[in-house]
Amino acid sequence: MATQSEAGAISAGTRRTTRMLLNQIFGPLLQILYFVIGSAVILGTIVILLAFLLQGTRSDINLLQGTLIILPQVIVDSLVRGFLYAMIALGYTMVYGVLEFINFAHGEIFMVGAFVVAGFGLMLNSAGILGDFPGILFVIISVLLGAAVSGILAVSVERVAYRPLRNSPKLVLLISTIGMSLVLQDLVRIIATSTPLGFNARVLTPDLGSAIRLATLPNPGGNDINVIIDARSMIFILASIVMLIFLNYLVNVTRVGKAMRAVAQDRPTASLMGINVNNIIALTFLVGGALGGAAGVLFGIRVQAINPYVGFLPGLKAFTAAVLGGIGNITGAMVGGIVLGFLEAFVASYLSLFTAGAFAGANYADIAAFSILIIILIFKPEGLLGEATVQKV
Amino acid sequence: MATSESKTPFATGSNPSNPFLQGPALYALVTAYLVVVPILAIGNMMSNPRPSLIADILFLGLLGSFLVLHKAPVSMTYKGVAAAILLGAVLPFFGTFNQFYMDVMIQIAMFCVLATGLNVVVGFAGLLDLGYIAFYAVGAYTWAIVSTGQANNFISGGHFPLGPEWFFVFLPITLVVGAIFGVLLGLPVLRLKGDYLAIVTLGFGEVIRVLLTNLDRPINITNGAQGIKDIGQPPLFLNPIFNAFGLDLNRAQTVQLHFYVLVAVILLTMLLVVYRLSVSRIGRAWTAIREDETAAIAMGIPLVRMKLLAFVTGASFAGAMGMVFAAKQTFVNPPTFDLIRSINILAMVILGGMGSIPGVLLGAALVTLLNLQILPRITAELEARTNLPSTLDPAQYQRLIFGLMLVLMTIFRPQGLLPEERRKEELHGVVPPDPADIPTKPDDDSAPSSSSPTGSGGSGA
Amino acid sequence: MSLLELQNVHTYYGNIHALKGVSITVNEGEVVTLIGSNGAGKSTTLRTISGLLRPRLGEVLFKGKRIDRMPPHDIVQLGIAQSPEGRRIFPRLTVLENLELGAYIHNSNSPEYRRDLERVFDLFPRLRERYTQKGGTLSGGEQQMLAIGRALMTRPSVILLDEPSMGLAPVLVEQIFDIVQEINAQGTTVLLVEQNAHMALAIAHRAYVLQTGMIVLENTAEAVAKDETVQKAYLGLD
Repeated sequence: MATQSEAGAISAGTRRTTRMLLNQIFGPLLQILYFVIGSAVILGTIVILLAFLLQGTRSDINLLQGTLIILPQVIVDSLVRGFLYAMIALGYTMVYGVLEFINFAHGEIFMVGAFVVAGFGLMLNSAGILGDFPGILFVIISVLLGAAVSGILAVSVERVAYRPLRNSPKLVLLISTIGMSLVLQDLVRIIATSTPLGFNARVLTPDLGSAIRLATLPNPGGNDINVIIDARSMIFILASIVMLIFLNYLVNVTRVGKAMRAVAQDRPTASLMGINVNNIIALTFLVGGALGGAAGVLFGIRVQAINPYVGFLPGLKAFTAAVLGGIGNITGAMVGGIVLGFLEAFVASYLSLFTAGAFAGANYADIAAFSILIIILIFKPEGLLGEATVQKV
Repeated sequence: MATSESKTPFATGSNPSNPFLQGPALYALVTAYLVVVPILAIGNMMSNPRPSLIADILFLGLLGSFLVLHKAPVSMTYKGVAAAILLGAVLPFFGTFNQFYMDVMIQIAMFCVLATGLNVVVGFAGLLDLGYIAFYAVGAYTWAIVSTGQANNFISGGHFPLGPEWFFVFLPITLVVGAIFGVLLGLPVLRLKGDYLAIVTLGFGEVIRVLLTNLDRPINITNGAQGIKDIGQPPLFLNPIFNAFGLDLNRAQTVQLHFYVLVAVILLTMLLVVYRLSVSRIGRAWTAIREDETAAIAMGIPLVRMKLLAFVTGASFAGAMGMVFAAKQTFVNPPTFDLIRSINILAMVILGGMGSIPGVLLGAALVTLLNLQILPRITAELEARTNLPSTLDPAQYQRLIFGLMLVLMTIFRPQGLLPEERRKEELHGVVPPDPADIPTKPDDDSAPSSSSPTGSGGSGA
Repeated sequence: MSLLELQNVHTYYGNIHALKGVSITVNEGEVVTLIGSNGAGKSTTLRTISGLLRPRLGEVLFKGKRIDRMPPHDIVQLGIAQSPEGRRIFPRLTVLENLELGAYIHNSNSPEYRRDLERVFDLFPRLRERYTQKGGTLSGGEQQMLAIGRALMTRPSVILLDEPSMGLAPVLVEQIFDIVQEINAQGTTVLLVEQNAHMALAIAHRAYVLQTGMIVLENTAEAVAKDETVQKAYLGLD
């Protein structure tokens, strides 16, 4: 399929250059990089300025020093959160792009992915081979497994619960997705509690390596600061990037990707091009679900303890990310995820530091996320990557 | 269930061509039901006041009386008098025998208020509010804070806790507090499209819950995750009346009866308000907004103000009912107000029929019964007869059951069990058939005439 | 045998009876035009042929085979292409991507594909100049060219054109109709729906007049153009 678009154009000097191709695949990633750097610089500057201003309000620690010491770690945390939201947000945005409704059950599709890796780890463990299983192979197999299960699940959900309602009012469809979300939560709960997994499932993994020291920063006031990233976060970030590259390739370069974009823009006309619209919609759910499932697997590997309700909050926030980036816009979903991840991680880490623990940052991070959602929807409903660059799937 | 068993005899009753179910015969039959079932139910209670399968069925039959009254083509006067006797005498009398049934009735009435409130928002105005429970929470916490020492933490002077006599002062206050929160949320978000509104209200609900959990620091306002206990109860203002009738009631029965009366009065007030609204110009404006926002604007309907009114009506009653809830439970904590409760109430509205007042009452009753009585009863019966592992306990399947209910209702009966006439059509697909989908489904001859075809193709050119 | 045939077709939008027994025959190599006023059912007829709408009654036959129960994406495969009313190009895809989608059902590595693309670019040199531009940034005339070009990319034996002249400047209208004739000369049968009856009758072989969902007149284009009622109602002549 790769060469189809190139073939388009041998004639008349309309050849597609390799550069265009690379641009289509990596362009969005470059945009993510800009937003990563931008968010890090802006938020970093803000917290350092705040630390200056508030210097001295806390007698127990040196606020400025404290701010600087945790900053690299906060950025790593931001990236992990950011990619998590980005991957889930893609599922929302793709479905929204094609059918214009919010698939509330997508958070549960993500959660199923996390349970797949928990189940896989448990299986290997009971077979007694978990400890010796190569870490990298474990990650690859479980990501593929989780993507397959969640993708197929998402397609089945669409077929059973959404397709019959495609001509119904949006409100009715939305209610069906809420219902489906509850059904999936409980089905997973039933399966988990009637197997050795249990309600609070532990994700068993082989040894995935120890923390990696990225850099050592000199600290004039005392010990040097080590910028450390733990292996699981590293895996999360790398795997996300690989999948985002794959997605961009699929959507921007391949024939089905073009069909997906066509269906998103104009369903009846797409069918006049010979595109089987129902198949493309199913494919959209498959891809969105697979990304969600893969994100679930990586999430499970990273947090190592899950339950059937873990999908709800990340799902809600990923939706926020999708809106933040401009719903229906694939690059927007990734960018929105990153920005939201940064904002949240900074609020979570620095709010308690600056208020001497009076406000528990971790809890207020949720409020920060929803406030962003409300503010964006009111003042800039088209999202960060406004209409101009919209590339709807 | 109550519906099917009591509905069947009169399903044909609405057909005037059936000579048997007309005139005296009809009245005799309805009256017979309304006399026999209560006698059986109360008689059974007298002989054995403990809940049992028989008692459950009779209880359902008793509640089903309202459905019989609603469905039977008898005169309004008859309906009014019969309903008044049932509500005012039969049900409370029945309830004095058994606290559990009384509690179920009170809870049904409370959820009727909530479902009716959400129905104004979702059913009348077509705004999907997934954070509805937040208004309930606000009302509940307002009373919880002032009727305990909690308020002393941030209001100096040590006036708190307030005594029970303040209950009736705070009932209107919580109504207003609910309304204020409705405006606070509504003003910024009501300009949003339908599905965005859903997610923002959902976020709002979560924000309120997170705040309730975390506002124990830096100042302890909500007492955080521990919740607030020993919340004040209303004064037992009806005691002189009970005494005058020479009723011999213990403390628990008295308190329950007070709540019964309180909740019933609020419910009836609310039904009156909502009914009047729905048949007024405002109600028609809501219908217009729901069916076609652009056309509504063109007709000069003040969109945001009308939406806000719907939002505030729902929110205010939820606030007041939240206060009653707090007083009844004497304990509130944040998890009581999570998303699943909002969805529970939504399920009531969907089940009964969006936009239909009798429908949502039925929905509220059915869902509450399902939660409190039917599922636990099935569990109990199964446990007694089979060796059921506890993981398969049906009472634990609330999410599954409500989820399936939502999905199945939206697919097979989007208009609900007791639909409002106009809505039947509307919910079966206002959106014109999408050409791309036509191949996948057989011709739909029931498509409404109101639909306009996709795109510009409709003009036929 | 006729290439495309509608037999007593009744199509509904919900309960609106849009086509009330339309019968049309299109023979191979012809340009057939369907004229009529707004709301007569012209677009509905085309949408029924291409499968976007299903007739409740009657049959649509293509090369003698019933196609009225087939989904649009299968009908395209048979060789019926439609350039829809309002052009409906994909605004956020480039010109080239729009054309590629037209060739969705074909192998785009094949020499035939390249030949098709070349043919479209020869018919519409403007598209060649703008092939990297997003569809939404094109002018109305260019969008119409793209819509026709995209339909040609499906390699159709019959092309359904829905109001190609709508909203275009007179010079462009002229140009578009020239191209329609050119397409026909290259061997594609054309079913042309038009409000601009004058132009349509000038290039068509045969014509049908549609009025409130019914065919009221059917003849050679020349004869139809001379018909008194047609002259009054559609050609603006007294």
